[in-house]
Amino acid sequence: MDATVKPLRIALVGVPNCGKTALFNRLTGSRQKVANYPGVTVERREGERAAADGRTQVVLDLPGTYSLKPTTLDEAITRDVLLGRVADAPAPELVVCVVDAVHLPIGLRLALEVKSLGLPMVLALNRMDVAKRRNVKIDVPKLSAELGVPVLPTIAVKRGGADALIEAIEPAHWLKQRSIAAPAWTEPSAEEAEERQKDLRGVLGAVGYRAPVESPWFARLDALLLHPAGGLAVLAAVLFVMFQAVFSWAEAPMNWIDGGMANLGAWTGAHLPAGPLTSLLVNGVIGGAGAVLVFLPQIIILFLFILALEDSGYLPRAAYLLDRLMGGVGLSGRAFIPLLSSFACAIPGIMAARTIPSWRDRLTTIMIAPLMTCSARLPVYALLIGALIPAKSVGGFNLQGLVMFVLYVAGILSALLVAYVMKLFTGARAYSPLMLELPDYQWPHLGNLLLGLWERVKIFLSRVGGIILALMIVLWFLSSYPAPPEGATGPAIQYSFAGQLGQLLEYVFAPIGFNWQISIALVPGLAAREVAVSALGTVYSMSAAGDDVAGQLSPVIASTWSLATACSLLAWYVFAPQCLSTLAVVKRETNSWRYPIIMAAYLFALAYLAAFVTYRAVAAWA
Amino acid sequence: MKTPDPSGSTPIALAELRRGESGVVNGLITAALGTSAQERDSMLARLRDLGFIPGARCEVIARMWFGGDPLAVRIGGSTFALRRVEAAAVRVLRAAPLAPA
Repeated sequence: MDATVKPLRIALVGVPNCGKTALFNRLTGSRQKVANYPGVTVERREGERAAADGRTQVVLDLPGTYSLKPTTLDEAITRDVLLGRVADAPAPELVVCVVDAVHLPIGLRLALEVKSLGLPMVLALNRMDVAKRRNVKIDVPKLSAELGVPVLPTIAVKRGGADALIEAIEPAHWLKQRSIAAPAWTEPSAEEAEERQKDLRGVLGAVGYRAPVESPWFARLDALLLHPAGGLAVLAAVLFVMFQAVFSWAEAPMNWIDGGMANLGAWTGAHLPAGPLTSLLVNGVIGGAGAVLVFLPQIIILFLFILALEDSGYLPRAAYLLDRLMGGVGLSGRAFIPLLSSFACAIPGIMAARTIPSWRDRLTTIMIAPLMTCSARLPVYALLIGALIPAKSVGGFNLQGLVMFVLYVAGILSALLVAYVMKLFTGARAYSPLMLELPDYQWPHLGNLLLGLWERVKIFLSRVGGIILALMIVLWFLSSYPAPPEGATGPAIQYSFAGQLGQLLEYVFAPIGFNWQISIALVPGLAAREVAVSALGTVYSMSAAGDDVAGQLSPVIASTWSLATACSLLAWYVFAPQCLSTLAVVKRETNSWRYPIIMAAYLFALAYLAAFVTYRAVAAWA
Repeated sequence: MKTPDPSGSTPIALAELRRGESGVVNGLITAALGTSAQERDSMLARLRDLGFIPGARCEVIARMWFGGDPLAVRIGGSTFALRRVEAAAVRVLRAAPLAPA
C-alpha cells in the first residue's frame, strides 16, 4: 500500500475546554459547537482541509481529557484513537497537542504524556491573547527546545489566529516521517505519574513560566456566584428572567408571524378555487406548519440565554451550586451539564452523559434527561398558556411567564424524584466523582452567539419544513378522507380516518380530559413534540365551518377547552416521551432495547397519572 | 523550591481548610474514592493529573454550607469543584496566603 497518497491524518488532543474545537473549526472551516465549559465534545469528529500544496488532510477533533488514563467513555475515545485501537480510524500520523497558555501546567502535563507515545507532534499554545493580557510568561523557543517539538502560539477564536499552526502542519513537513505503526502504551504507575510531574516542573522552570495575574473581577464574581446563598439567589434570578423574557420579549414578533399566517391563509382561501388542493394548503400547510412557526421568536430568545450562559463560563458554577442537591438524590455531579443540555434537546444531553464515569450514574442521567423541558415542548406550553392563562401581572411578574417557570420546575423536581427512586432500587452509591473544572469567565463571543442562534433557527425551520410539514400533509389526508356520508351533520373530519381514530383513542384519554381532537394530535406528536401543535392547528382548521382560517388556534382553544383539559395536557407534556428520536438515541447509547422500553413505559405511566390527577384536581377546584 | 509555612506542621485534609485559606499539598491518601480498588486508583490518578501533587500550592475559594461539600479549589492557575470526599483525599499543610501581587 502506498502511504503517500492517503491524506495525512492529524489529531487534535488537549485537556477539556482548551479550545480544540475552535481550532478544528479554524482549520477545517467547520462550524462545530464551541462553548466555555468542559465536555462540549464527546465524540470524535473528522473534517478535511486542503493544504497549500493541494493535498487533503484529515483533521480529527477528539474529546478533551486530562490524561491518557481514561475515567469516562469520551476520554477513552481519545486514548483509543491515538493508539489506533478504533476499527475505522487508523492512528493519527501527526498530533496537534492543544495547550491553553493561560492554564499551562495542566495542559503541558498532558502534552508530555502524549509526546511519550512517540507520534510526530506539534504543540499549539492557544489563547495567547488572553495569556499576554494576564501577564503569563512563557519562553516559547525554549519550550520548543525542551519538548523537542515545534510550538506555535495560536488564538483559535480569531480569524488568522491559527496561521502559524497551519503552516507548521503542511504535509511537506511531515510526509517524510509518517509512522505506520500504532504507538504502544501502558497505564502509568503512581511513581511514573509523579516522575512526569517532576519533568513538568522542570520544563515550567526552564521556560520561565509565570502564572497568570489573577483578575480581581474573577475573584469578586466567584465570591458572589459561588456563595452558598448569594449564588443560589443569582441562579434562581437568572432562570426566572430567562422565562419572563421568553414571554415578554417574544410577544410582538409572534403577533407579526401569527397575523402574517392568518392573512396568508385568508388570501390563499380567497384566491384559489375551493377544493382539495386549497384545503391542503390552507389547513394542512399554513394551518399546521404555520402554527409551529409562530414560536420561532421564543425559541430564539431561549437559545440566546442558553448560548450566552454557555459562553460565559457560568454553567459549571451552577453545577457546583446544585451538586449537593444532585448528590442527595444519587446523581453524579457530572450529571448537571448533560441535564442542562437537555433543556435544548434531550438528544445531545443523553450523549453528553458519556462524560459520567460510572455506568449506573450515567444510566440514571440518561433515564431522567427527557424530563428536562426541551425546546420542542416550548410551542406546546406556549400555545396552551397563551390561550388559557391571562397575561396579567402577579406581584410585578407576568403570570404566563410564571406558569412556564412552574412547568420547568415541575420537570426538574420530577427528574430528581425519579433519580431518587432509581437510587433506592439500585442501592446507594458510596461515591461518584465531581472534579469539575470551573473555567475562566469571559464575555459571550458575539460571532459565536449569532452562529449558534443561526444553527438553532436552521434546525427549527428544517423541522417545520421537513418532518412537521410532511406529517401535516399525511394528517390532512387522513382528516379529509373518506368524505362524510350524505346528510352528515357534523364537520367532515369526524367521519374521516383521523376522526375515527381520534374517537377510538378518546376512550383511553377521556379520563384525563382529552377530547378527540387532542387524541388525534398526540399520534403524529409522537414523532416530535411540537408536531402536536401543528396537528391541533390542522385538526381544528378542518373541523371549523370552513371560512375560519389558519393562525387562530389560540382563540379556538380558549373558547372550546376547559381549564382542566388544558392543565391536564400541560401535565401530560411534562412527562410524555413524545419523541421517537430520543428513544432511538437511548437505544444507541445503552446498546440495548431494554432501557428505551423502560423509559417509554415509565414516562407514559407518569404522564397519564399526572394528567389524571391534574384534570381531577382542576375540575374539582374550578 | 517552595517551602511550607511553619504555621502548618501536621497534614490535614484539604476539606478542612476554610474559605480563603491556602495549603501546600503534602500527599494523597486512599480515601473513600469509589467502591473498588481500581476505581479508587483511577480517581487518585486523576487528582494527581489535575495538579494535586506534593509541593503544589492551593487555595479554597468557596465552600458550600454544612461541611464544604462541594468546595472550589484554585491550583496551578485553574479552579476545580471537588466533592468533600475528593478534597479529603488530599492532605495539605496549612500555608500563609500569598502576598497580593
